[in-house]
Amino acid sequence: MDQFLQNYGFLLVTLVQQSLLAYSLYFPLMAGQLSLASPGFYALGGYIAAIMATAEYFAPWRDALGWGIFPLGWLAAGIISGILALLVGIPALRLRGIYLALATIAFVEILRVICLNLAITGGAIGIFGIPQLFESRWSYIWTFGPLLLLILCFSYRLDRSRVGRAFKAIREDELAADAMGINPTRYKVLAFVIGAVLAGVVGAMSAPFLNTWNARQGTFDASIAYLAYVLIGGSRSMWGPLLGGIMLSALPEILRPLKDARLIINGLVLVFASIYLPQGIVGAVGSIRNFTTQTLGIGRSEK
Amino acid sequence: MDAVQFLQNFLNGISIGSVYAIFALGYTLVFSILGIINFAHGAIFTLGAYLTYSLAVGQFGIGGLLADLQLPFQFSFTISLFIGAILSGMAGVLVERCAFRPLRTRGADPLLALVSSLGVALVTVNLLQYLVGSEIYSFPSDVYGDIRPAFLLHIGEKLVVVRTVQIIIFAVSMVVLALLGYLIGWTRIGKALRAVAENASTASLLGINVDRFILYTFFLSGFLGGMAGSLVGTSFGIAGPYFGVSYGLKGLAVIVMGGLGSIPGAVLGGMVIGLAEAFVPSEYSAYKEAVAFAFLFAVLLIRPQGLLGSSQIQKV
Repeated sequence: MDQFLQNYGFLLVTLVQQSLLAYSLYFPLMAGQLSLASPGFYALGGYIAAIMATAEYFAPWRDALGWGIFPLGWLAAGIISGILALLVGIPALRLRGIYLALATIAFVEILRVICLNLAITGGAIGIFGIPQLFESRWSYIWTFGPLLLLILCFSYRLDRSRVGRAFKAIREDELAADAMGINPTRYKVLAFVIGAVLAGVVGAMSAPFLNTWNARQGTFDASIAYLAYVLIGGSRSMWGPLLGGIMLSALPEILRPLKDARLIINGLVLVFASIYLPQGIVGAVGSIRNFTTQTLGIGRSEK
Repeated sequence: MDAVQFLQNFLNGISIGSVYAIFALGYTLVFSILGIINFAHGAIFTLGAYLTYSLAVGQFGIGGLLADLQLPFQFSFTISLFIGAILSGMAGVLVERCAFRPLRTRGADPLLALVSSLGVALVTVNLLQYLVGSEIYSFPSDVYGDIRPAFLLHIGEKLVVVRTVQIIIFAVSMVVLALLGYLIGWTRIGKALRAVAENASTASLLGINVDRFILYTFFLSGFLGGMAGSLVGTSFGIAGPYFGVSYGLKGLAVIVMGGLGSIPGAVLGGMVIGLAEAFVPSEYSAYKEAVAFAFLFAVLLIRPQGLLGSSQIQKV
């Protein structure tokens, strides 16, 4: 077991971490908003935690709080990401569809260039030697794991709550939802902020886990990776981001023996999955189940 | 800033802006027909640059599978640029067949086209890295034949430097723009393309083979993308297989600026962003990369339909 954790502990935690980031995209998408801003908030959260853990200014805080500086960092990252999301979200969410996606891409790129040039974020080199919360890498499962459970419970409850139903109503038809007395702007901003806070907290947890933090953490490529997790997992089910996140982020590791060709295969998987699994993996499982129950008469029917 | 400095920045700006314009037109053409952004466009840009390089220089660097390969032929720069762009156009057609058509025939969620086109981009870029390695390639200085590398304009005591590459880039872009304008505005093919962009199902009822014109569009788009990549590559060098990614994103800023789907808008947007970047003071040059995105963000908030786009009224 020890050997297994030593070899695969880092990967295991990474899978959980990537799934969490998939959820940060899933919540806005639940309200029909294609936001690619997650890597921006993820990078921001990481910088906040990294600065709190390394900067001279915070030294007395660290002495006073001990390991308590880490949860404080998560909290700070969550709050600051939330406020920034509110500021960006209120004007940006007037935009629909691809326009919103483009605005969030611009947001991520602007944030990246700023982080690349500020002294406090360590410029192009970034911040390194971030103190560790645990001695071994796999132990970080004790921070990411509970967060994932929390998010799963949250998604489960959200699905069955007034807010969740409002999100889905907006996704299906914003005008109709508006006519039914749902305030679309309020719920869209709410969905955007939930995603941003989650991405910020995951960033803050990842900074000690990854030990260094730099501007490469928040890029356009990452936006697309998270989007692929959600769409290929299944964007209409709360299990989709988890499945997609785990399977797609494990893929490069599984393909590691192929060396240089692995990213090529990764790209092919994206193409084939979007063609042959339009409803995502969860959707495909659902239609297989429908097929077996309705055509073959095996098992219990869904509805 | 004095007048001479202004002139220098202005010339730099319209030169790079003209490339942004033809690159962004590749996005615009596809968007106007399919209403989808082709995220493989940045990869085609990169591919075009490498194709032109290989045709003009005939050999590759130290890394990758093709490291010691020497092509048995070598073309002049003009011919290489043209063939490189044609091949990029064919790659554009391939992108359509692999990433867009299968989704269209299945009536899938347009969001998936985003993922599939990025999948194709990922394959292209990594295949390039596999084949030619990741080091920087620069075109040899004598690639244009025997002409001087720069022209100096003396204005009083001051000097304005115009690199020959800048003139070539501007001239080629203008010729391409003029030809494209003619093709779309004054030929039967252009008329059919405009009809498909206006309404694909009506166009098909009128006997236009929509799928074929979508292929033409992707060919034109790839041609423009590959041409832009080659021009940028000759001017600044090819900084590895990923160098198209940042231009790909900047191209998005250009098309939003001018108005999604608007052809004059893409040209205007390219010029505006090229000039804006050129006028960034040197002490803030580190922030130059953010200029296009700041514009993109601002335009979306103030005038989402872009400078030349018309606002869309949503009908219920």
